Amino acid sequence: MLKLLLIIGTLYVLALVYLTYMARDKDRSSANYLMAGSNVGSFLGLFTFAATLFSTFTILGMPDFFRVHGVGAWIFIAVSDLFMVFGIILVGYHVRKKIKESGTNYYGMAGFMSHCYGARLAGYVVFLGAFLFLIPYVAIQIKGVVLFLDQAFPDQFPMWLWASLMLIVMVVYSELGGLKAIMYSDVLQGILLLLVIWIIGIVCLNRLGGIGEMFAQVQLVDEKLLSVPGPKGLFDLQFLIGSMVGIVMIPFTQPQVSTRLVIMRNHHALYRTAVALGFFAILVILPTLFIGMYGAVHYETDSTADFLGKTLITDQLPLIGVLVLLGLIAAAMSTADSQIFGLGAEIRSLLGGEDQQALRTTRGAIFLFAVICLLFSLFSPDELVLLARLSFTGTALMAPMIFLGIFTRNAAKHRWMPWITLVAILAFILSSFGLLPTKFGLIRTDLLLLFTLGFLALAVGFVERKT
Amino acid sequence: MRKKIWRFTVVLVLVLMVLTFTPLVVPERVHHPYFMGVPYTMWMGFLETLLLLGLTYLATRVHPGRDD
Repeated sequence: MLKLLLIIGTLYVLALVYLTYMARDKDRSSANYLMAGSNVGSFLGLFTFAATLFSTFTILGMPDFFRVHGVGAWIFIAVSDLFMVFGIILVGYHVRKKIKESGTNYYGMAGFMSHCYGARLAGYVVFLGAFLFLIPYVAIQIKGVVLFLDQAFPDQFPMWLWASLMLIVMVVYSELGGLKAIMYSDVLQGILLLLVIWIIGIVCLNRLGGIGEMFAQVQLVDEKLLSVPGPKGLFDLQFLIGSMVGIVMIPFTQPQVSTRLVIMRNHHALYRTAVALGFFAILVILPTLFIGMYGAVHYETDSTADFLGKTLITDQLPLIGVLVLLGLIAAAMSTADSQIFGLGAEIRSLLGGEDQQALRTTRGAIFLFAVICLLFSLFSPDELVLLARLSFTGTALMAPMIFLGIFTRNAAKHRWMPWITLVAILAFILSSFGLLPTKFGLIRTDLLLLFTLGFLALAVGFVERKT
Repeated sequence: MRKKIWRFTVVLVLVLMVLTFTPLVVPERVHHPYFMGVPYTMWMGFLETLLLLGLTYLATRVHPGRDD
């Protein structure tokens, strides 16, 4: 099977090389390199949004979440994703309008917030939040795939070599072709992700005898899987609310997505993309339910790694197993490259001076972020979904500050907001490490921080509107 | 008229968001009634995603900034 993977993998890399070549442009300005000329249509928009949003977390994390915690995982991710898509229509328009009216060159939310608040600190806070919460997320995706590859081909390659190979390919096409190359590769990776997840999903569903039979068998195993909060009680209201808030805010708080919001050709292209993205979300999450329920029936007591290895590889034909591995690599790369590149763009947004010099610094930063992710992936824990949730919630803490910057006429009057956001981010990190309580009374710390910041931003916005 | 439908759509989505966290969508430890063999929270959640998709489409048709 390793031979087959190397052959198909080589073809895949060649396809990436071709797409990078297609994306190369003589215009090497920041606007073109980092923002793809801000002229993206709805087809490319859909796949680049989808491939960026749906990562390893979808193929590896969600089936395991369904298997262990039951159908509440649908509310946790699918329902939240659909609210997020509506949020793109509701708020995306205003974000784009504000950027256009500002007359500034948008390269990232950090620079834009510096402009809105008239304070560098606002930009630093946005960058810090993105950096702190995205690096672990990128790393865990790389690690998830590497662990999987290591299990599929034990003792063939050391884990650091798999991780390095993935990051090298990613950095090469990102550095050479810029955002355009990433978006072209997103189309390939998005299609591959959808294809692979549906093949496995249908195989699992057929083996269970159809949808009704699937749930009947799950009920025999553990009927708590068929309702919330699930067997381990994870999906309580606070978890679901916190997750939804975090996911709904992603398009405005995570640079790899907010960039895509801004670079769409026009509002119509953004709207079409949003609707198609909602459909894509349902399409990509539904088969993970089938895979998870298959795991609940057949591999109830297995470890996550064993369940995934057996369901995705051992139980499949070799060719499908190889496609799964490739799909996994593609899923991890399509999200990780955009996140690392997005962090680079945030750096560019904070830099002034001559464009080519700033772009050189940015490319150096992208390389540095990739190295940090590589190191982090070698030493990070294995909790894929929970680390992803930490990333959603952590970045969501910046949303009230960003919205206040966008929706108020003169955000410079509210320079205290970046300071409070900074304190909230630090408090959230301390509570994540157990240095602050994870709950105050009955309320989770992350929810308390989110709602306090949200309430302050709303109150200020309300008062300003009244005056 | 378009503005009214837009506002109605936004209100409907907000109502749906609140309802998501009530026993109407996520009743604790309840998986009845089934619909075509699918447990309650699952089919209700799926229905909600379809509704949201429909509302998102409607929102794109009536968004106040559509003609900008």
